[in-house]
Amino acid sequence: MHKRLWLAAVLAVPLAVQAQGYAPTRPVEAVVHTGPGGGSDLLARAVALMIEKENLLPVRLQVVNKTGGGGALAAAYLAEKKGDPNTIGFFTGVWLTNPLTSNEAKISLRDLTPVARLVLEPAVIAVKADAPYKTLGDFVSAAKQKPGELKQSGGSITSRDNVVRQQLQKAGGARWQFISFPGGGERIAALLGGHVNMMVIEPAEAGEHIRAGNMRVLAQVSEKRLPAFPNVPTLKEAGFNITPVPQVRGVVAPPGIPKENVVYWEGVFKKLTQTESWKKFLAENQFEDGYQNAADLTRFYDEFTNQMRSILQEAGVKTVR
Amino acid sequence: MEVFSGLMHGFAVALQPANLLWCFVGVFLGTVIGVMPGLGPPATIAMLLPLTMMMNPAGAIIMLAGIYYGAKYGGSTTSILINVPGESASVVTCLDGYQMARKGRAGAALGIAAIASFIAGTVGVVGIMLIAPPLARMALAFSSPEYFALMALGLAMVVLLAGRSMVKALLAMLVGLWLAGIGTDLFSQTSRFTFGQLELLSGIDFVVVAIGVFAIGEVLGNMQMREAAEALPVPKGLRNLLPTLQDLKDCRFAFANGSIVGFLIGVLPGAGSTIASFISYGLEKAVSRRPQEFGTGVIEGVAAPEGANNSETGGALVPMLTLGIPGSSTTAVLLAALVLWGFKPGPLFISENANLFWGLVASMYIGNLMLLILNIPLVPLFAQVLRAPVYVLYPIIIGISIVGVYSTSGSLFDVWLLAGFGLLGYFMRKLDYPTAPLILGLVLGGPLERALRQSLMMSDGHLSILVSRPVSAVMLSLALLILLMPMFGKLNTWRLRALEK
Repeated sequence: MHKRLWLAAVLAVPLAVQAQGYAPTRPVEAVVHTGPGGGSDLLARAVALMIEKENLLPVRLQVVNKTGGGGALAAAYLAEKKGDPNTIGFFTGVWLTNPLTSNEAKISLRDLTPVARLVLEPAVIAVKADAPYKTLGDFVSAAKQKPGELKQSGGSITSRDNVVRQQLQKAGGARWQFISFPGGGERIAALLGGHVNMMVIEPAEAGEHIRAGNMRVLAQVSEKRLPAFPNVPTLKEAGFNITPVPQVRGVVAPPGIPKENVVYWEGVFKKLTQTESWKKFLAENQFEDGYQNAADLTRFYDEFTNQMRSILQEAGVKTVR
Repeated sequence: MEVFSGLMHGFAVALQPANLLWCFVGVFLGTVIGVMPGLGPPATIAMLLPLTMMMNPAGAIIMLAGIYYGAKYGGSTTSILINVPGESASVVTCLDGYQMARKGRAGAALGIAAIASFIAGTVGVVGIMLIAPPLARMALAFSSPEYFALMALGLAMVVLLAGRSMVKALLAMLVGLWLAGIGTDLFSQTSRFTFGQLELLSGIDFVVVAIGVFAIGEVLGNMQMREAAEALPVPKGLRNLLPTLQDLKDCRFAFANGSIVGFLIGVLPGAGSTIASFISYGLEKAVSRRPQEFGTGVIEGVAAPEGANNSETGGALVPMLTLGIPGSSTTAVLLAALVLWGFKPGPLFISENANLFWGLVASMYIGNLMLLILNIPLVPLFAQVLRAPVYVLYPIIIGISIVGVYSTSGSLFDVWLLAGFGLLGYFMRKLDYPTAPLILGLVLGGPLERALRQSLMMSDGHLSILVSRPVSAVMLSLALLILLMPMFGKLNTWRLRALEK
């Protein structure tokens, strides 16, 4: 009896997929904007592996690297694929912020078809282990006493690193330098070498440096405490009334695809996020489950761009949209 | 003693038949992708990642690292034979390697590249084994002012790369620096010289420029001079194809120079193998007894940069293994692989995974030896390519260049850029402008500007930060010295002439 039920369930899955009338017919191109080894590339390849293992797609997911323009080229490539049912893309925060500051980056998430939000990447605020700051409050008040003398290493001026700085500077009434480095390795090297005083870093990256006693974490940039940092306060708990701007990753499709395709893709990624392999993947990378369906993602996008635009403008960054 | 027992354990791991096989697979694949322009180690390793999930991690890291250093061996082949750099790190090899091939010494150039790679690659492994942790800590002391000074030192080498006219060399370098400025500025997120082109937002890939200016420009130039466009001389017999004893003697210093310069620059997370090969080439020329012959096909001019880009591999693994800090795109993919297999790369990685670390180190000794044995017999084979008549060879060169450029970015825009830079290379040749300074400016422009702006932000606008730190002060004075060198030479000739009168 049980066996028969189980069999029926297995048979029902492909039937259900067929019933929706759409399924990809040839290998699906998954467009990412980073080169091999970049964050998006690794996420897409990991998702491709999991989808294959969990048998969620009748065809293979093939990662295509369209590098350049900080996501703008990949977004434009997707926009060109208008109506193509066999292409999807993995977006990150830069796909959302780039169109705000760059004239050339014309394609925003609104010009494509949002499918699902998958991941929220929390961050922590770290200092070198021998730094005098024990709490985030210590750091901010030290910066207040010596305006412009303390330094933070980070990515570009539109990165989350700088957004956190802007929010903290505003909330704490302090000012410190923000020094851009193109590579994550260089940012960490600058902190460990004592050339800067603080950085915003992903928990998985910081973990080993903390364990080795090279780094100390002052606060975490997330709404609730992460399992790996049960004793580290969030920004709010540290006394700074800041709503962290989330770092997101998710899936988009080309514009102009039928509603049933969107529903299909939503279903695939919804199922993916419920698998054990996905949960293991999130835990290993210390990501938060950020699943949202297409409608919620569109709403999120609007809120995010508005919040981001005003933060960037306050930071003196020229916005074009 | 600890090192010795560690290494013995390592060889016990690396000499297991399966791991030996993976090591061979890695270095073989590395050689192949190195020879082919376009597809580089980061892309290859990323594509193989899913396969490695089923492998034993020791075998997997041994194979992936083999791809990394194996590609550096293969990269010189097309540079020497057809002036197309196979990897970004072998751009400098074109300068003298291709000229050697034109003189019928392609075999010697290929051979010395393999030998220099073997020596420097092995020195790099010795470096990882003996001094990795203290060296990584020292590299952390290197901050933006030091990077600025290092890049300025590299840029000063324009003096050494100049042909007959210093003015033309400086002009070419300035164009290179300008090209480096194209794209989105990291600090202000504004676009510069993009003319509304989406494709220019992330700047111009210097491999496109290098292949265009070197390979396409050369082909166009030769096609115009019908008489020169003949098959290149290739001597017969294996013995005449390999480097002679005199060649090896000439390269004694180049071996040491390439090994040490490459390794030290490799350890710095913000530099890279192209910069390493440029600097060791400049150093080689600066101390050479026949500097005027550089660029016309001297064998040290191949040995030094080829050595440097191989020991750079060893150097680049140092911050990755000891601190978990990737300094290049390849080490970033390797780091991601370690995470995927369930390791935690970071400061404690070596002590907690001693077997894996020593297995990797031992496998790199074996892999370098394999590469030498693999590459030397290939020399005569590759040298035969040049026997092809020009009406076969030139279309092939242009084809390889286009495929190489397209396969790196998958963008047709880059193919048009390649055509444009090919024309630029052609006219530079006709008007006797040296092309190497252009590439030098393009490679160093980005890091130089970033380091300068980072330094000034750190010092709140005070230029004194550049000279108040001893390491950067020393390097900047050296750069100034190199820049002024030709002026002293001129003063001297004036003085002598005046005396004669």
